[in-house]
Amino acid sequence: MRITVDYGLCDGLGQCALVAPEVFALDDDEQLVVAPDPAPELAGKVAAAARACPVRAISVEGA
Amino acid sequence: MVGAGLAGVRACESLRARGFGGTLTVVSDEPDLPYDRPPLTKQVVAGTLTEADIRLAGAEDFGARWIRGTAAVGLDRVRRRVRLAGGAELPYDGLVLATGAQARPWPGQVPAGVLTVRGLADVRALRAAVGGGAREVVIVGAGFVGVELASSLVGLGLGVRVTLVEPFRRPLRALGGTVPDVVAAAARRAGVGLRLGTAVSGFRTAGERVAGVVPADGSDLPAELVVVAIGMVPATGWLAGAGLALPSGRVHCDARLFARTAAADGTAGAVDPRIVVAGDVAWCEAVRSADGPVPLEHWSNAAAQGELAAGNLLAGPAAADGYEHVPSFWTSAFGLRIKSVGLPGTGGRVVAEEGEPGSEKVVEAHYRDGRLVGAVSVNLGKRLVEYARRLQEERDRPEPAGDGRIPMPVAE
Repeated sequence: MRITVDYGLCDGLGQCALVAPEVFALDDDEQLVVAPDPAPELAGKVAAAARACPVRAISVEGA
Repeated sequence: MVGAGLAGVRACESLRARGFGGTLTVVSDEPDLPYDRPPLTKQVVAGTLTEADIRLAGAEDFGARWIRGTAAVGLDRVRRRVRLAGGAELPYDGLVLATGAQARPWPGQVPAGVLTVRGLADVRALRAAVGGGAREVVIVGAGFVGVELASSLVGLGLGVRVTLVEPFRRPLRALGGTVPDVVAAAARRAGVGLRLGTAVSGFRTAGERVAGVVPADGSDLPAELVVVAIGMVPATGWLAGAGLALPSGRVHCDARLFARTAAADGTAGAVDPRIVVAGDVAWCEAVRSADGPVPLEHWSNAAAQGELAAGNLLAGPAAADGYEHVPSFWTSAFGLRIKSVGLPGTGGRVVAEEGEPGSEKVVEAHYRDGRLVGAVSVNLGKRLVEYARRLQEERDRPEPAGDGRIPMPVAE
């Protein structure tokens, strides 16, 4: 599974982190941090996190 | 599909993603293609996002037939038809109600130059007024729309002077705790004139146009442009007489988002298995405080309900999934990034659990009877994940007392 975040779009709203906290988190400055190489069984949650992104900054391949 | 906001668009996506191959008709009273609403009062007013940037769907999407700029005006559940303005009727096998809400209008006549802001057309009018030279703006109501607009307008760098008038003593008071005071201080620093604890009794005019806002204390606030931002009303006027339960004007739906019919005594009755509800218009039994269901007017709720409602409509009530959702929303104004999970407005005790209360970096947790009901962060959004997890655990815990019945307000 390959996750790409368009940081030009990402506004640090953190909706993805609420859906898939195993993979997405905000840092102290509310910048998005993505865990490398998420486990394959998280694919469903990652896809849901991408759909929960209000600015559609997350794309997922190979999920 | 009646309504083409976020909930309606997500329902369309969900229908096709689940293999629905039948005829899909989308009815919207707005002439514009679907667009995303949160940026309207922020980036679109500021001019950093265009109308194309916020488009949610194109006319070719979903293989749908789009009927735009035409309102649904009636529903006949027995004959399974939606009546449109102009008299046409659309038959349906399944119906998604996602008509959202409208800006609450000022109670009474308003002169030219007084706007409400809910949709793209409203923001076009606002931008045109400022582009045409309006520099003295009064915003009536310091809720999310009013505060975001105030921030965007003073941030334009055009010398727009903004006065925010609010009958309650704090802006964004729904957030509770110290956050409203932080917002008030930031607004003042940004140059916004705050008139808190001040009700508005009417408007002063010069000719046909507004020239000022008249507070109840008899003073006068000069205005070339006035925005009335006093909340929203669910768009269910067209459903009067349809036999659906409409508590507080919203469509009552069960925990699987199926619309409930109105029983003879006005309370909610059985579900209509062919009608699902999503977004601001829904009054869902699965979204509850300790006092019963509460309406949610948040982006994340509209997205999640739209997706589930469509899936459940295809599955039918027996095979449908329940709606499980931890509410969340965000707002930003005057450099403050505010986020929330749960239902902070329903708590009685507020505890600052990280950062300093009253500062611009804080997390405040809201408790009711010792149970966490919500949390609000200012510039500390990273902490909310933990609160969302705790709220999920609270939700999955059985209720401590009571008979488990949901209090049903009398339908309007």
